[in-house]
Amino acid sequence: MAQSAEQLEDNPFLAGDALRVADDGTARLIGTECADCATKLFPPVHVCPDCMSENVGEIELSSDGTLYSWSVVHVAPPNWRVPYIAGYVDLPDGVRVFTHVVGADPAGLEMDMPVSLTIATLGEDAGAPVESYAFTPTRT
Amino acid sequence: MREVSVIGVGITPFAKYRDKSLAEIGWPAVKRAIEDSGVEKKDIEAAYCGSALGGMMSGQRVLKQLGITGLPITNVENACSSSSSAFRQAYIAVAAGVYDVVLVLGVEKLTKFGGGTLPLEKEDFEVTHGLVMPALYGMRARRYMHDYGLTEEQLASVAVKAHRHGARNPEAQYRNEVTLEEVMSARKIAEPFTLLHCCPSGDGASAVVIASAEKARQYTTKPVKVACSEVNSGKYMTGFRDMTTPEITVRGAKQAYEEAGIGPEDVDLAEVHDAFTIAELLYYEALGFCGKGEAAKLLEDGETSIGGRIPVNPSGGLLSKGHPIGATGTAQIVEIVRQLRGEAGDRQVEGAKVGLTHCTGGGISGFDHGACSIHMFSV
Repeated sequence: MAQSAEQLEDNPFLAGDALRVADDGTARLIGTECADCATKLFPPVHVCPDCMSENVGEIELSSDGTLYSWSVVHVAPPNWRVPYIAGYVDLPDGVRVFTHVVGADPAGLEMDMPVSLTIATLGEDAGAPVESYAFTPTRT
Repeated sequence: MREVSVIGVGITPFAKYRDKSLAEIGWPAVKRAIEDSGVEKKDIEAAYCGSALGGMMSGQRVLKQLGITGLPITNVENACSSSSSAFRQAYIAVAAGVYDVVLVLGVEKLTKFGGGTLPLEKEDFEVTHGLVMPALYGMRARRYMHDYGLTEEQLASVAVKAHRHGARNPEAQYRNEVTLEEVMSARKIAEPFTLLHCCPSGDGASAVVIASAEKARQYTTKPVKVACSEVNSGKYMTGFRDMTTPEITVRGAKQAYEEAGIGPEDVDLAEVHDAFTIAELLYYEALGFCGKGEAAKLLEDGETSIGGRIPVNPSGGLLSKGHPIGATGTAQIVEIVRQLRGEAGDRQVEGAKVGLTHCTGGGISGFDHGACSIHMFSV
């Protein structure tokens, strides 16, 4: 999602409006919920694809979900640190989120295992770190 | 709607043509298709060109090389389904009686990107966060392995079969057989895939000439009937979805079989979109060649090899023949037409009467695939 210079100043994270990080470092994923049909979406949108209503509002999504699947990626565009783990995480809100999985040994990953939201440096772009949300196996 | 036939096919062998322009890659396929059809170039009333990344006016740039200009040329972009979508536009125009003779071509030059994974749309949220095509299919594979007990050996054997077929195709990009061990020990791309689980990057072109069935008889004694033509877009689903079921292909196949009045049991051979090994297995099931979870057994039993019950990708498929993406849809049609005419040489599927092509285009968030086309042909 392309961001303007102004947006980058407000929010240094790659996910832009889809990620909010509080002063204490706590991260939340931001989605939208349609006030007319209750459809929830990630990342945020301006119109509901279900009922075309523009009556949509921001919501904070759950920070805990389950790992639907993953792949250890060895070949990718040069701004990413390879290898990385790409995954899909299912949130209890009914939303599936594409993510990097960090802080995990690939051999220890399991289908549908609990994972939690975090912030991570995922790569470099023109010498600057690329930071965004990621998920990591939930500590038990 | 009138019956429509394919009367000419041609291909520019899939390879890496770093020193050639898109136009230079494109025209040989077109010239061969026209010569094969027997039509004069002045007989062609319209042309449809599929290219995903060829840039503006790909069709005009190719066709001016042969002086095929001044006619309506329509350029069609639908990712990997570009030229199969172009074929459908041509089919509709002829079936509706607007034109009698139409040219369809697909052309792509991927070597201009220098290699690596296919460049995807940067406006897409998942792409900006590091989604690449091998990872997307890799996640499908991982989930399928978990849900249905598919082994890494079974998955790798898809590539072994593809190369066994491709070795018999003089126009394939890779004409070497590979062993299971070679597939499994190749360089890792996106797990569980190694390099040989992934279709190669490359260049190429393909073209077909179609005509109304009535007009076709003037030019050929071997017309191949278009039994159905189907193109769909994926359904946008932001919630949970089962990545082991390619919904757009399941939906499209149902429509295609209904339109053709032909069931999966009547299909003699198919060219399917095996961009990655797992894809071929998912499509055996989605196209109804076997039940859910039975794809590995169908492959292991040799049923999808040449000589089996339903040979799939006798050309070598995307994995071995290559995948210059905009050229793939019409290249699949070229293969099926040759097979139905009995002109497929060492890879001929004996007695083939009904063939199916299946081509998907993907790579955007929220879709199983962005586009899918299914065509059936018969003699």
